[in-house]
Amino acid sequence: MAYLELEGLSFTYPEAAQSALTDISLQIERGELVALLGATGSGKSTLLRLLKPELRQNGTIQGEVMLDGRSVDSLSSRESAGIGYVAQNPDEQLVTDKVWHELAFTLENLGAPREQIARRIAETSAFFDIDSLYSRDTATLSGGQKQLINLAAVMTADPELLLLDEPTAQLDPIAATRFIETVCRLNRELGLTVIVSEHRTEELFSLCDRVIVLEHGAVIYNGKPREIAERISSDSPYLSFLPAAARLFRLTGGRGEAPLSIREGQRYVSALKSRTTAAFDAPKPAQAEPALELKNVYFRYERNGSDILFDLSMSVNSGEVFALLGSNGAGKSTAAAVAAGLRKPLSGSVKLFGKRLKDYHDGSLYRGNLSLLPQDVESLFLCDTVREELKGCEEVLKDFPYDLSRLYDRHPYDLSGGERQLVALCKVLSTRPRVLLMDEPSKGLDGGMKRMLIELIKEFKAKGMTVVLISHDVEFAAMCADRCALFAQGGIAAVDTAERFFSDNRFYTTAASRMTRLIAHGAYTVERAARILGGDG
Amino acid sequence: MKGFERLNPLSAALYYLCVLGLSMFSMNPLMLVISLFCAVLTCIADGTVKARGHLFALILFIVAAVLNPLIVHKGATVLFYLNDRPFTMEAAVYGVTAAVMLTAALYWLRSLSRVFTADKVMYLFGRISPKLALLISMTLRYVGLFKYRFRRIRDAQRALGLYDDGNLIDAVRGNARVLSILITWTLENGIVTAESMEGRGYGSGRRTSYAPYRLHGTDAVFMLLTALLTAIAVAGTAHSSAVFYPELNFDLLNPWGIAGTAAFSLLSLLPLILNAKEAIRWRILSSKV
Repeated sequence: MAYLELEGLSFTYPEAAQSALTDISLQIERGELVALLGATGSGKSTLLRLLKPELRQNGTIQGEVMLDGRSVDSLSSRESAGIGYVAQNPDEQLVTDKVWHELAFTLENLGAPREQIARRIAETSAFFDIDSLYSRDTATLSGGQKQLINLAAVMTADPELLLLDEPTAQLDPIAATRFIETVCRLNRELGLTVIVSEHRTEELFSLCDRVIVLEHGAVIYNGKPREIAERISSDSPYLSFLPAAARLFRLTGGRGEAPLSIREGQRYVSALKSRTTAAFDAPKPAQAEPALELKNVYFRYERNGSDILFDLSMSVNSGEVFALLGSNGAGKSTAAAVAAGLRKPLSGSVKLFGKRLKDYHDGSLYRGNLSLLPQDVESLFLCDTVREELKGCEEVLKDFPYDLSRLYDRHPYDLSGGERQLVALCKVLSTRPRVLLMDEPSKGLDGGMKRMLIELIKEFKAKGMTVVLISHDVEFAAMCADRCALFAQGGIAAVDTAERFFSDNRFYTTAASRMTRLIAHGAYTVERAARILGGDG
Repeated sequence: MKGFERLNPLSAALYYLCVLGLSMFSMNPLMLVISLFCAVLTCIADGTVKARGHLFALILFIVAAVLNPLIVHKGATVLFYLNDRPFTMEAAVYGVTAAVMLTAALYWLRSLSRVFTADKVMYLFGRISPKLALLISMTLRYVGLFKYRFRRIRDAQRALGLYDDGNLIDAVRGNARVLSILITWTLENGIVTAESMEGRGYGSGRRTSYAPYRLHGTDAVFMLLTALLTAIAVAGTAHSSAVFYPELNFDLLNPWGIAGTAAFSLLSLLPLILNAKEAIRWRILSSKV
């Protein structure tokens, strides 16, 4: 008998016409690392929640979940705490104000004696390498650190099964990689059984033992990563679940075993070298007047604090899509707030269409000139329904390529991350801005939603709007930006056209560029690489 | 961290309770002067009070000392008349004594607020009730989170052109809107926190309360010593007397009084002694290297 067995598991939310999960049967062996993939709303979260009794939502369950030969329903709440669960949002899962207290919290709840708590905290923080954070306030940590603390806190209870629900969705790529690597270590070194649902599969796909893909609440793929990579064809909607190497392989008509990692991808690409067509023509930098200009801007939050923005200068041309890239916590959002006139720089100037921000009087800056899509779109929602929320946005909705009317009667908080983003975008566009700043617009979105957003941004550009993306998502920026800037140490370390930016960067670049940089210049997205390598992409 | 600050918060709490209690409830001028002297020394030694702090204390001292004889006209020895009102020596001495007490208490409280970080306060509450400790810890987290979110929401609304604090009515309206969003946002997200707590076994039975402090042998010795010295000082205060009105009549230097004052002096010097001991040991150890 397998360690975890699901037998004919179905689940229906109350008053829902369709079941969220239908007849799912799975066997997972002890020590397996399972990647659970699927679009938003495919039932990944629902499935994970059914495996842990306290997290089950209201609804009708059919079928059985057996853990180590016992039904999970029969677990006491203490035993059930031995099933670790980490969700998407790093902030909301923290309970206390200090890191040490957060680590102690789980064992405190289980009534463990002091000595055991001290020992387990010491062990865990050594394993996770978070010793230096021990006495910090949880509020001062970065998103990646918070998520590591959440994982470590769950691990103090010594679970045998770990359930992770999109744990890296809110993290920047570097923090996400570190998180996934830590999960892998838990699996490899401690033999922990892990089920992790994810949108970002670049590393996970080649590291996991098994991939399960859900569609509308049913399992459509279940097998070893290589088998799955073989079964997903180039026209499948699930192509975006594959890592870049496998995607490129499919798009260039590769046969047989698909490469999964960057290294394998490089090998595949160099075998195709002879097929390489001519390189891309470098796009002529269009002479445009600057829309948004920051000159020698300095900014700090506290009088005696360190500078968050240090000699920041950048110039965004009118009509282009400009991406400001950098890791989380580097100060990008602060840069956006200064550029949007929400924070006054300590010194330096910010100009919009050649006019200083402070010369836009009586709020004229935010009417028809500049708008900001904030990182937490929840900060925009005031009403109980989407309909009320979108009052005054009729103009925008008329030209909006996606129909939002089916969402009208729902509460903004009941929408998926992507849908919220679209509603927020409509609100922000209602002021008819000429320059739109978007702060981490791709955060937490699945592949389909990201493509939708990219199409929207391209359309904004076609209409002559200037778009500034503030993002840590390199792959996302590569798909839509004309020019990219690397934000570091409070200023701009490099700024270039997307083509040169991604091709010349060694570390801070896309998976496609890493695979192709030796044989072709400018193939920085999988689609461009496929085109150059003679595929049908 | 120095020797005194490294003690268990319980020891430190007992210590400040005793020193502050003795300084505030005995009107023994000798003990008060010693208290003030030691408190100032303690604050200077660990850099708690900077020049501005001392200036403030000095002003407080002068005001408190001068105010009493200006208001109170009791006392037999009239020094001079001010606006036809007698200015007496007794009232002046009482004023200075009260000022010494006030300033000494101020310095001890400053030292206390330096030693008692939020963590230690939490620990003390945790000894009383683990639930209360958790509640405080969660509240502290929320205070920071609220501030941060309030700012984010205000920014987002301002960029939509919906927040304006140009005049009072707009400011009230704008802030009400921000607050409303903040509450919805927090309540919605509170579900995630609740699930995280439940998922980690909260409410599954009896809880324990963990704190990164232990009671060491040093703490036991320190607490015993503090209690003993305090007892002697209390006995000394009880056997000595300081009468200010109508005439000054101090009986401080009887055997009990002397013992009590000596015990109190030692008590007031304890933090300095503990820290100095460590500094000396540090010197010796590093000179051997």
